[in-house]
Amino acid sequence: MVVIGAGLAGLTAGIRLAQEGLDVAMFATGHGALPLAPAVVDVLGYVPHRVQNPWVELPAFVAKRSQHPYARLSMGALAASVDWFKDIAAPLGYAGSLERNQLLPTALGGLRPTVLVPETMVAGELSGGGDVLIVGISGYRDFYPSLVAQNLSASSPAADCRITARAVEVALAGDPRDLRPQLLSRRLEEPQVRADLARSIRAELRAETAVGLPAVLGLERSHEVWSDLEQWIGRPVFEIPTIPPSLPGQRLQALLIQVFRRFGGRLQIGNAVVAGHGGDGHLESVTVAQASREVSVSAGHFVLATGGVGTAGIVVDRAGTPREAVLGLPVSFGGLSGEVGREYFGTHPLDRMGVAVDARLRPTGGESGHLFANLHAAGATLAGAEPWKEKSGDGISLATGFAAAAAILEDRA
Amino acid sequence: MARSQIETDVLVIGGGSTGAGVAWDAALRGLHVTLVDRGDLATGTTGRFHGLLHSGGRYVVKDPSSARECASENLILRRVAADCIEDTGGMFVTTPIDDPGYADRFVAGCGAADIPVEEIAVGAALGREPRLNPRISRAFLVPDASIDAWKTVWACVRGATARGAHVLPYHTVVSLTMKADAVTGACLLDARTGDEVMVEARCTVNAAGAWSRKVAELAGCEVGVVPGKGIMVAMNHRVVNTVVNRCNMPGDGDIIVPIRTVSVIGTTDVPVSDPDNIDPTREEIAEMMEAGEALVPGFSHGRALRVWAGARPLFPKSASGQVSDTRDVTRSHSVLDHEALDGVGNFLTITGGKFTTFRLMAKDAVDLAGRKLAHPKECTTASEPLPDSESRRYYWIGARQEEMEHDAPDDPLICECELVSRTDLQAAMARRPNWQLDDLRRALRIGMGPCQGGFCAFRVAATLHQDGQYDRLAANHALRAFVEERWKGVKLISWGDQLRQTRLDEWIFQGVLDLEHLPE
Amino acid sequence: MTAEPLALFEVRSSLDHCVKCTVCESACPVAAVTGLFPGPKTVGPQAERFRAGDRSPDLSVDYCSGCGICSRVCPQGVRIAEINSRARAQLKRDRGIPIRDQLLARPGVMGRAGRPVAPLFNWALANPLVRLLGERTIGVHRKAPVPRAAARSFSYWASRRRPYRAERRVVYFHGCSTQHFEPEVGKKVVAVLEHNGFQVLIPKQDCCGLPLQSNGIFEAARRYVKRLASQLSVPGSEGLPVIASSTSCGLMLKREALEILGVEDGQLVDISQRTYDLFEFLLELHERGELSTDFFPVPLTVAYHAPCQQQNQLIGKPALELLRLVPGLRLVEMDRLCCGIAGTYGTKREKYDIAMRVGDPLFADIKDASPDVVACDSETCRWQITKATGISAVHPLEILYRAYGGS
Repeated sequence: MVVIGAGLAGLTAGIRLAQEGLDVAMFATGHGALPLAPAVVDVLGYVPHRVQNPWVELPAFVAKRSQHPYARLSMGALAASVDWFKDIAAPLGYAGSLERNQLLPTALGGLRPTVLVPETMVAGELSGGGDVLIVGISGYRDFYPSLVAQNLSASSPAADCRITARAVEVALAGDPRDLRPQLLSRRLEEPQVRADLARSIRAELRAETAVGLPAVLGLERSHEVWSDLEQWIGRPVFEIPTIPPSLPGQRLQALLIQVFRRFGGRLQIGNAVVAGHGGDGHLESVTVAQASREVSVSAGHFVLATGGVGTAGIVVDRAGTPREAVLGLPVSFGGLSGEVGREYFGTHPLDRMGVAVDARLRPTGGESGHLFANLHAAGATLAGAEPWKEKSGDGISLATGFAAAAAILEDRA
Repeated sequence: MARSQIETDVLVIGGGSTGAGVAWDAALRGLHVTLVDRGDLATGTTGRFHGLLHSGGRYVVKDPSSARECASENLILRRVAADCIEDTGGMFVTTPIDDPGYADRFVAGCGAADIPVEEIAVGAALGREPRLNPRISRAFLVPDASIDAWKTVWACVRGATARGAHVLPYHTVVSLTMKADAVTGACLLDARTGDEVMVEARCTVNAAGAWSRKVAELAGCEVGVVPGKGIMVAMNHRVVNTVVNRCNMPGDGDIIVPIRTVSVIGTTDVPVSDPDNIDPTREEIAEMMEAGEALVPGFSHGRALRVWAGARPLFPKSASGQVSDTRDVTRSHSVLDHEALDGVGNFLTITGGKFTTFRLMAKDAVDLAGRKLAHPKECTTASEPLPDSESRRYYWIGARQEEMEHDAPDDPLICECELVSRTDLQAAMARRPNWQLDDLRRALRIGMGPCQGGFCAFRVAATLHQDGQYDRLAANHALRAFVEERWKGVKLISWGDQLRQTRLDEWIFQGVLDLEHLPE
Repeated sequence: MTAEPLALFEVRSSLDHCVKCTVCESACPVAAVTGLFPGPKTVGPQAERFRAGDRSPDLSVDYCSGCGICSRVCPQGVRIAEINSRARAQLKRDRGIPIRDQLLARPGVMGRAGRPVAPLFNWALANPLVRLLGERTIGVHRKAPVPRAAARSFSYWASRRRPYRAERRVVYFHGCSTQHFEPEVGKKVVAVLEHNGFQVLIPKQDCCGLPLQSNGIFEAARRYVKRLASQLSVPGSEGLPVIASSTSCGLMLKREALEILGVEDGQLVDISQRTYDLFEFLLELHERGELSTDFFPVPLTVAYHAPCQQQNQLIGKPALELLRLVPGLRLVEMDRLCCGIAGTYGTKREKYDIAMRVGDPLFADIKDASPDVVACDSETCRWQITKATGISAVHPLEILYRAYGGS
């Protein structure tokens, strides 16, 4: 098996296949979007109104969007992938269900719908209202507690629920340069540092029932950092994800890579796949770039999970012509066309661009309906979605990665 | 709605380089000046050109008098505005698509216009600029440079206000007040507050550039200025560190200017009727990208960061005022005494020209105004340095990077692409009491780098909220407005690396921050 | 990353691909342990836009260790480490290159100087007082791991041996460490190759210039690497694989000389395209069914650490895969990316602590695994690991050699 791309979709497919004892080689040009993402699992957030129950609203959504990746899956497959993820990512304590969007605070203080939430963020679920203390750390420039608190206080998750939020800022001793997110999160892994933080927060606490912090609570020892803080502050503590770098994203990525390797998967980061070779509807091999040479890697099955425009899985030249960057597959516009809009928040012609797939997640084309019988595609590479708007990206990556693996396993059975 | 009054010697309408230069010159001569602009300063033509400080080489064959003017003003500005200028030097190169015979005429023309020109070996040219087209046949060095228009305008304005001038951005001229065939002042509307300001002026200078026709009409005068639209594309980094020109008769897209952190290619020249309606078209953008290939092979595959258009104020000296190809119109300027031309007293228009000659244009305008006011002071702008240029040290692109590397570490960067820190933001706010976010953006270049605000927009809006400058709704609104404003410049360059950046920014603004769904 | 090494201006132009995503800063092992280094994105593609080539505005780029992890994890193909390397060279040109760096950059010179007096040389380098003096005067940290000069060079042995002749031949690029400090490793490499039926050509050869390049001394580095390419282009050896047993030197030939130094030299390009890391070559043999697998069991627990320079060759971990074939061996793969030494970086007084903090997690993992020995393809990494953990670190080749019955 060759999986191209080591993001959420690629790692999902890779782990699923490796779990079944298959030999999986994974190549990726780099680290992709996982370490940037908030690491919650969005399934369907807006359609455009805010979705309360994805399980109930998905069928209607999909009925209107036949080219959407969710239209290629059954609800059962989506549910299976979510359950599978919760199991695989158990060390990070993901909780939630497809029947209920949780509402989590953003770094601006808005409320954002999502399905699965790691343990470090669970206490921030505010759809029932709440009384929270939002804590910023002086010198850490990617989190502004007063704006978060004020916007949260103005948000009403439901008619009868209110959120009261208050902001404070605490200082950590030491070199201000150490407040870059990477260093800050590692400092919090030192027990003394987080004990001091807990003490400062405790001193500020009044009647609030939970404490929100920026998502910097450790990298490898996030569980200890978070649970110690909860214990020492005496309240539930939740992280609020902010602009990249994302520590929760890095934790999830590290975990998934570890799991992949544990099942015997082989991952090579830095290797671009530059071409594919095959004929008669069968992909034989791919060409992989090394530092000074290219080598050919053959496999029985291939999964393309290179991500969309954001990770250069789909590239657009100056003439506006899109190209799928690895295998040169045809690119679909996912049903959109026309001129770019004047307003930023509208829908623009390139927003749903990607590779179109059939019900078995094989890129479409050719006489038999699919280009290669043994090539599947998953994740943001697929056409038909605007994941950042719909808040559907993780769900698409997870479900299609899972389904691509399932299709391969079926083919082999 | 409040009303206030100002009495002034000289009312200057238009806060571009010309207007700011007039304010500086007049203030130095002891006149009281009031400078107004409908928007922020330097947002007209001045804020939208490529930043070239002409050596004059471009005009030596086509427009020798303009060439001479540029040459002498180049020297003067290097003396008095050094802080605004980066001494990049310039090169004229004969590319395979240029007329090989032009080069000799060029050299002769430089000689006649007193422009220092030095022919260098092609190998030396390529050594200096490795990305230049290796197939050039000749190369010449000239003293082109790049100049920061915004900095220059604000230096003039700081110098003028230090000498008592009033500067009123965001004030529209609603009407010019007339009395007995003379302009006695203007009625202004503060665009931000709706307040009215009545200005009584002994002399009114129309320095509205491409808009000077509209202003002149308010006094019943005719100014046949033709706005010439020119588009420019900023490439993400400096592919060259020298200004490079094609050694040929002036044409479209024949110059690449390294200005601050970007390289700008321009430009086109298309007459338009409305200087406010000048959106670049896809064809024009494609034309500029391809034009760059002649000078720098591979140029069109580079990352286009932003595209915009400016409207030049072209003023034909001929009486008819009808222009087909605006490139034939002289680039020298004109001072129009409306007393002589239209019978309207105390009113003059200064138009045409180019940024490089703004000081000279201002001098000519203030000389005439001085005569009208019987105020015989001489112009001193050729020797008096602008504020911050006293040391006569040129701007160095690495300055901010070096400063930041040595500075105190506890000054976090708000905008990393353009190295803008928290204290920079606070200092800029202190200098502009009634600032808008766009004013700060222009002053600091926040969001003007590769990420086009993807990371800094959030930090800026939230910092301003945290510092008490914005309330919650203002901060939310400011962030959305910032994002919309950036979109204007990138939406037409939705390809390649910049499209990828746009998509990442969408993930940040919509995916992570969910900016669209903030509470009202 | 693509297969084509980029021309110099293309390395700078690759900054256009940077969308500021911060992935590199998250992966950088140096930025993770010190505030002195703001991160590869900051000193790389971001600062590059403020460099006009002549005068350096930089300072903190000096703390980049050159490990190359940033370039490897960048999903957009920005040549971050290469941009940093060039910026560092400019910085040093402006500020002057310290004597220490001139010395450290020339292991060949030091090795040759030390050899005639090897016992004294080695004693001095192990003597705490001498080391303290060294730290105070030239700036090599007193605790920095340093090699021991060998009494006889590798080439001395090579020129006196009876070469095994065979139809299939390879050219052996042994590197300075084998030549001056660890000739035994080189002998074993030759033995293993010969055991697999290859005639091993060992031309006279000098330093590849990597330490010069990583210390910003580009002009000398270019001379060295061009000379080496010429030396390895033995007449009659056209098209033969060039086997590099020192993985960092191998990367220099494969890529860095072209992309960081911008050397345009026909011989170098040719050599570059047929340079193989030793285990890359052996694994390919195995995949063709041509590797001798007549192994004796080696009942050892071995912790394998893939050095940065090996990983940057983008060939996976062939040493690990090959060692899995050895019966009795218990292999534990180390997950950490960097040991911290980064060639000569970690030996410097002002960087030693940073290097040790970078390597700490790896050292802890190694100690937890309680191996009999650590296997690692790069010599400087081996010296760092041995010093920090007290556990012996060997070239993985030594294990293979033992499996073939060597001792």
